[in-house]
Amino acid sequence: MGMSVDSYANVLAEYRTRNIRASEDVLKKGIFILERNGLGKLGSEAWPFLEQLALAALDLGRLDIANECISRLDKQFVGSPRVECLQGIRLEFKGAYDDALAMYQAILEVDPQIPYAIWKRKISVLRQSGKIKHAVDELITYLDAFYTDPEAWLELADIYASMSLYLQSLSSLSHVLLLIPQNPFYVLQAAETAYTALDIPLALKFFLRSVEMVPEGGASTRGWYGVKLCARRLLSSLPTSLDAVATSSASETPLPSAHHLALLDQLATERLLAAYSTSSPSSAASKTASVSASLAGSVAADAREVLIRWLQGK
Amino acid sequence: MILVGVLRHYVTLLLNSPPKKQTLAAIREQRGLVRSQVLRATSTNSPLPPHYYRALSSHLIQSFTLGTYLKDGPPSNNPDAPKPGPVNPLSDPGAMEGMMDGMKKQMVMMVPQMVIMGWINFFFQGFVLIKLPFPLTLGFKSMMQRGIETQDMDVRWVSSLSWYFLNLFGLNGLFRLILGTENAADSTQDMSALPFVGTPGAPAGPQDYVKLFATEKDNLEFAEGQYSWVGDGVERRVLEQWGMVPSPGKPKSA
Repeated sequence: MGMSVDSYANVLAEYRTRNIRASEDVLKKGIFILERNGLGKLGSEAWPFLEQLALAALDLGRLDIANECISRLDKQFVGSPRVECLQGIRLEFKGAYDDALAMYQAILEVDPQIPYAIWKRKISVLRQSGKIKHAVDELITYLDAFYTDPEAWLELADIYASMSLYLQSLSSLSHVLLLIPQNPFYVLQAAETAYTALDIPLALKFFLRSVEMVPEGGASTRGWYGVKLCARRLLSSLPTSLDAVATSSASETPLPSAHHLALLDQLATERLLAAYSTSSPSSAASKTASVSASLAGSVAADAREVLIRWLQGK
Repeated sequence: MILVGVLRHYVTLLLNSPPKKQTLAAIREQRGLVRSQVLRATSTNSPLPPHYYRALSSHLIQSFTLGTYLKDGPPSNNPDAPKPGPVNPLSDPGAMEGMMDGMKKQMVMMVPQMVIMGWINFFFQGFVLIKLPFPLTLGFKSMMQRGIETQDMDVRWVSSLSWYFLNLFGLNGLFRLILGTENAADSTQDMSALPFVGTPGAPAGPQDYVKLFATEKDNLEFAEGQYSWVGDGVERRVLEQWGMVPSPGKPKSA
């Protein structure tokens, strides 16, 4: 038994250092450790473990476990901002947003050092309880000091997008791109935001950039869809320039030549068909064939059918 | 000696002052530079379209010129105002505190060592404590027989003072075992750290942000000259990647 408490504790420590949430697994292993009184064995590791377990328990609605963890932590660290943060999250879990907000506010006013974790919680509560304007103001003040927090920029972009302010959302995303230029998913998000903001030439550039970063698999299928969408829209409006909406660009992004657009359209069609045909051999290979495999095969075939129809449409 | 080492570790822990708390304005001032550094880092292959890049860049240049990121607000333009000279590190109470902190730790290191060494020197001077079980060359004589002026004694005999030094350094492994790797009893720290010279982690004194921002403004203007968007010609690169258009070197077909 001691063996497995140790090995579980190691797994959980690994989750903590790599910042993996995995709440269900944490809860299962955490309860196992608690039930076997493994806390003593953890030594000083017990406290971060309790914090992790409390968050996982709140994620999955196990208030009893969370209460136990938080009360143990509270006894050990009286008045610690980290424990107070946990208590605030427990209030949020119960839906008592106003209480949580008052609590965060009190901590922020007393503490001259900026406990930014609590500040972020406060912003999140403001958003959840519908005070969007207040949340945006706070978030902008936060980002003005803590510029290098991509999470907060993504949150701001998300708030703007939820209010249909796509150009503002794109501006926030541009900071994420600066901070993490190597992540193709953020490029995709910027592309889709630009498309929604009706800046099609810019969207095309971003989509192309994402498929340049990941040519096959992963994020690429969605990227090729985007290329196809933009290219088709631009091609249909090019000869006459009637569709001024499609070709206009708020960011004054130049259009590719018509010849390149046609080639891009063709390339995107090929890549999409290839992406969907490579997923079908898996069902062909497993001819030993359970029913579910053939079912999956037929679903894939249907998807391909729909795709071909969409690709041929104008 | 082990007990003294353990004691020293805990006294140092007690003396450790909590990390200095910073106000929001101070954090903002420090990180203002990071903004432009992040923007500059990718400027030759920027993920941002020109529209967005120019907006950010000119905004930053403007705020650096006006000094909006400065902790104490923009500098006054009054020519009669006294020019702030280079800041004296001793006049800043925050920096003074950091220095005192280093000195306190040094004292905790030095005092017990001097006491023990004086004690050994006083009571055991000239004593030979042990005989090494292996022979050594004459070169080790000054290392093994410190405090004993005997020309023709075998090098295998070790004097009390030398034995103390050997233990002092040999105990580090034991302290690491008892107190963990980051213990304060490790005497190699005494050797590497000179008093009054801050450890690498310590802040390098107050900085003149007015000058730093002025330099950063020039850097930004320089970076703007080098700027190019990664999206420029991306359609061509993607088409080349898939062999739809001939690779560079050949004349453009479109």
